[in-house]
Amino acid sequence: MGETEDSPLTEGTMVEEARVERFVRAFQALRREIQKVIVGHGEVIDQVLACLFSGGHVLLEGAPGLGKTLLVKTLAECLDLTFSRIQFTPDLMPADIVGTNIIMLDQAERRYFQFQRGPIFAHIILADEVNRATPKTQSALLEGMQERGVTVAGTLHPLPSPFLVLATQNPIEMEGTYPLPEAQLDRFLFKLHIRYPALDELNEIIDRTTRPHEPGVQQVLNATEADSLKELVREVPMATHVRELASLIILATHPQWERAPEVTRKYVRYGSSPRGAQALVLGGKVRALVSGRFNVSSEDIKAMVLPALRHRVIFNFEGEAEGINVDFLLQEVVTAAEEAIRHGKEVFLR
Amino acid sequence: MSEGARTSDPEKILRDAAQRVSVQVRVRRSEYYALRALTWGVSLAALPLLLKGLLGVRAPSLAIAVIGLALLGGLLYSLSRSVPPSDALRLADRAAALHDRLSTALECVERRDDSPLAKALIADAVERAPRVQWSRVVPRRWPREARLLPVSAIALVALLLLPPIPIPRGGLPAWERSTPEAPEEPKQTGPATALDRPLEQKRQIPERVDRQPQELPRRPTRPETARGDLAAIFKDTTISQKRPDFSSFLKQGDERLRVLERVENLPDLKSDFTQSPQKMMFRKMQQLLGGLRPDQLSPERLRQLLDEMERLGRKGDGSDGDLREGEEALNEGQLSRALSAMERALNRMRAQEERERAKKGLSGGRDKGREPGDPGKDGEGDDLGEGEGSLPGKGHSADVRGSPTRRLPGEKLDMALSGEQRQGRREAYDTNLRGRGAQNPSRLPYATVFSQYRKLMEEALAKEPIPFEYRTQIRDYFQSLEER
Repeated sequence: MGETEDSPLTEGTMVEEARVERFVRAFQALRREIQKVIVGHGEVIDQVLACLFSGGHVLLEGAPGLGKTLLVKTLAECLDLTFSRIQFTPDLMPADIVGTNIIMLDQAERRYFQFQRGPIFAHIILADEVNRATPKTQSALLEGMQERGVTVAGTLHPLPSPFLVLATQNPIEMEGTYPLPEAQLDRFLFKLHIRYPALDELNEIIDRTTRPHEPGVQQVLNATEADSLKELVREVPMATHVRELASLIILATHPQWERAPEVTRKYVRYGSSPRGAQALVLGGKVRALVSGRFNVSSEDIKAMVLPALRHRVIFNFEGEAEGINVDFLLQEVVTAAEEAIRHGKEVFLR
Repeated sequence: MSEGARTSDPEKILRDAAQRVSVQVRVRRSEYYALRALTWGVSLAALPLLLKGLLGVRAPSLAIAVIGLALLGGLLYSLSRSVPPSDALRLADRAAALHDRLSTALECVERRDDSPLAKALIADAVERAPRVQWSRVVPRRWPREARLLPVSAIALVALLLLPPIPIPRGGLPAWERSTPEAPEEPKQTGPATALDRPLEQKRQIPERVDRQPQELPRRPTRPETARGDLAAIFKDTTISQKRPDFSSFLKQGDERLRVLERVENLPDLKSDFTQSPQKMMFRKMQQLLGGLRPDQLSPERLRQLLDEMERLGRKGDGSDGDLREGEEALNEGQLSRALSAMERALNRMRAQEERERAKKGLSGGRDKGREPGDPGKDGEGDDLGEGEGSLPGKGHSADVRGSPTRRLPGEKLDMALSGEQRQGRREAYDTNLRGRGAQNPSRLPYATVFSQYRKLMEEALAKEPIPFEYRTQIRDYFQSLEER
């Protein structure tokens, strides 16, 4: 590459390589710090960080005691960002989240309204057991999650950036809960399942949590750096066929699509919204950067299918009755999408 | 240096890479389609060789021409298809595990993407492109039909070397009548004509019989029938010589009726062969012995054999006692005693079988003189009579259904059953019945009656029209009982 070494292209490339390298270093440092506290769950940590850098929100689902809340708290400690924890309960009101106008007195003893900010005004929000609050209260999160701002009494109050909502819910104790409506579920970039730890992980958890000094974490990223890395993610180029794969995957979740797989036609009522495609691509871009690449590959898209789409597919009665596993269905969807890309191409170009 | 000149090098490198892959795709594609066309061409070329007799010396040339045309068609088709550069670079990406770097970079170059990351991507792709092993990008693929090519080629060569297949010449044989057509049947004029018509047809039969040998190849026939004499056909029968005798006809009829009455007593050979416990036992023994002498048998094998004998043994043949003795001997490790007990049990079962055969009128030859109940040579005939069955249909009563027990007319359903396990020599259950059945408690141990129940089940499955699915279920049920 002697010819291109002196060209300005190489100079620019070196700058970009440095940015990508900084991204990779930040990502790995965050992961390392979180793993000082959280045992295992490497994939979940990666996907939570992918959400952070792609500007999305995460819904964490898992049985009690698996470390959902601890993961979010540790992430907040690793970042030099403000953090709020909201414990959702049935009597929680929307104003308890977004804040309210209260009457104040100025120096001249005149009364005026002052907006008292709620806990939503933080960079990282932990919405713990989000399905225990009423739908009215759950909906209070909607505007904040999507619009990055809260409107109270006709005044828009912007939320800080980066803004990341990490909601947790427990799939076991469903009595007395309010399952999240589809509209709200769609606003989460990823839905992640927290699995039970394996034997060696369980041993490690016992070791770490029963010692006199629990491990502490260091702050590795501030808000400005996080925003800069978020911008880098959106710059990652993507080929047409990769974008087409993402679109076909979304279409294959719709039973009305002509090339939808049999399981979709049989068990799905509504497929994913275009937000699903955005989630695939943004997640894919983060994954590409973490791998040290400057482009999104088909593998990146496919790797993001489960976390990005598993909460966006709504089963019909048959699907619910037969207990179809959404992860299995999504694997079939990916196969159908790949088949659709190859459709009509001869054997050498597949 | 202008912007265009700066980007020309990466673009050239990427386009060269795409061109290399395209050439490779074309080569592989030509091989593929040529092979497909060749397979079909060889198959089609068999046609002129099959018609070698008709085409003469032109047949091989025609066959070669067909193959050549097919090959040319396949090559032309493969060359006519384009290879998009983006698709070509995707193949290279996949082959070299480049994660879509080359194809994305080419796209960025084509759309003049000036973003910093796009430039970095192009530079990265340009750096990696020369390291791709181009020869491995497009693997060789064989068409599915290619498997038939050797067979087709061999068939083609064989057709070429073999003499021409004779093709039948001329038309079909003349089917015109050799004799003038029979006059048309007169139209119906009255009732008498309708009655005469069958007779008319009968009269025509000998004529047609006479006419047939002239037109069709002769079959060896007896001289009497060859002459067309209808009476000769029946000449060798006694009926044709006799005058109709009504009284003898009646006599014969009586004989036939008597024979028909005896049909019920005829042996059921099929069931005798397939359902005979002795034969089943023999077959089972053959399987279990596996070519071993009795003294070479292991105790496990013997126990297995004993179980099978117990399962297949019929109620009332008196083998139960011997089998129990064999089991005890086996438990105590006395193999020779167990063997002799089993032999005795088998003899009893055989004797029982012979008695049943005698009932069906099958006794003959050396079976003559061995009447049921007669003492056998081994002196065990006294207790060969049918035992007092505790199960319906197994006693020696003339009534095959057996005498009804006291429970049957009363309450058919017991209200409850409760078992109590006691200490004893073997596992047994003393069932306490409530209701009328309480007067008649079961005293038989489970292990003893189970074999009878199982045997009855096997008989019922053999005789009754039970659906196939239920048979497995029934067998499973009894198997579960046995495991208990």
